[in-house]
Amino acid sequence: MLDIQPTLNDKQVFDFIHNGYIILESVVAEDFNAECLILPPGHLTDFIQSKPFRQNVLLHPEVSGVARSLLGADFTVPTSAHNHLFEHPHRGQTLHSDGLSELGYGITHLQCYYYPQAVEIEDGATMIVPGSHQRLVDREAIAHYGNISGQISITVPAGTVAMTHYGIWHKAGPKINHTRRSMIKFSFFRTQPPKRDWVRESDEPPTYQHSGRHHYVTEVESYRDRRRGEHTWNWLCGLTEYQEEYHPARMFMSGIPLSQIQL
Amino acid sequence: MDTKIKNHLSQCRQKLENGQLQAVDLDQLEALLTTSNHRRNQTIMYLYSKSTNMRSPLSGWSIYDPYRDDEPELPSQHPPYRSVLEAVGDGWRILQFPRPENFPFSDIDNNYLAFEFILEKFT
Repeated sequence: MLDIQPTLNDKQVFDFIHNGYIILESVVAEDFNAECLILPPGHLTDFIQSKPFRQNVLLHPEVSGVARSLLGADFTVPTSAHNHLFEHPHRGQTLHSDGLSELGYGITHLQCYYYPQAVEIEDGATMIVPGSHQRLVDREAIAHYGNISGQISITVPAGTVAMTHYGIWHKAGPKINHTRRSMIKFSFFRTQPPKRDWVRESDEPPTYQHSGRHHYVTEVESYRDRRRGEHTWNWLCGLTEYQEEYHPARMFMSGIPLSQIQL
Repeated sequence: MDTKIKNHLSQCRQKLENGQLQAVDLDQLEALLTTSNHRRNQTIMYLYSKSTNMRSPLSGWSIYDPYRDDEPELPSQHPPYRSVLEAVGDGWRILQFPRPENFPFSDIDNNYLAFEFILEKFT
C-alpha cells in the first residue's frame, strides 16, 4: 500500500472537530491547476482516476495526509468528482448541507473542494459556516437563511483544497462578475475503525480541548458543541465502542481503498 | 399620498359637485392607484436572536425584498441592526416571535439557528 503519512497533530484534530474544515492553500502546482481550468462542468470520472490527478491532488502529501489523519489507514480514494463551474453573475445558492446528514459522532467522510484558480469574493466564493457540521437539519428548512455571523467565504489562491466534514453547511456565494470560477468536489471515506494514529506528541491521548464559541452560537449551544466534540474526540481515539456507521451519505460513495491504488 | 392621485381626486370632487363625474374618471383613478410609485411594498426580514430577549445580539439575518431580490449581493458580516428591538425602533413590525416550546431542550444536539423573529416593513 502507498505510504501516506498523517500530517495533523492532536491540536489540529481538535480544531477540525470544532470547525468542521481545514484549508490547504496553494498546495497544488500551478501547471496542474492550469490543466484543470479547461475541465467541463459536471460529473468527472476518467480525469479524476488519472495518474496526474491522483499525484497532484488526491494523493498530494498534504491532502492525503489530512485524509490519513482523520479517516485512518486505507481510506477510499475518490474515483469521481463534480466540477461546480460558474461563469455568470448569480444570486448564489441557498445554504444547505449535502445529501442526507450523517448521524453519530464519528468522522467517516471528508468532502473536499479543489480550486484550480484563485477565488475572490466577487467570483462567487464558496461559503461555509464553521461548526455547522454538528447540526443535523433538513437542508430545505434552512434555505431561507441569509448571512450568519462568523460565516466564511473561501477566498483563496489557486491550487487550494478545502477539506470539510460532510455535514457542514455551505453554498456557492453570490457572484457579481463574469470570471470563470471552478470548484472540483470529491470525497474521501473511512474504511477502518478509528484509532489515534495521527501525529502524536505523547502516547496518552490528551483530554479534548474545546476552542470556544463560534460567533453565531448561543451559550447553551456552545456547551452542547463541547460535549459533542468530546464524543467525537473519544470516538476518533478509539476510546468508545466502535460501530461501523453506514450513514446515508454512503449512497453517494465512489472510491476505492488506498491499498488498491498503484501510481 | 401621490400628488397625481391627490390632484385627480380634487378634480373628481369638483366634477361630482357639478354633476359631471363619469365612469372614465374612476377608470383613470384606478389606473393611477395601480401604477403609483407610492404603492406600499412589503419587505420581510428574518432575525436570529441569541435568546428570546429582543435586546439580545443577533446571530443571523436575511432580508427578502421582492423589488430587489434579482440582484446578487455580496455576503456581509454586519447585521443591519444590533438587536430585534433596534429593528422595531426603525419601523419593523414583528410578524412572528420565537416560542420556547419550539426549541426542545437537548444536552448534546444543536440543529437550526435559534430564536427566529420574522419582521415586516412597508415602504
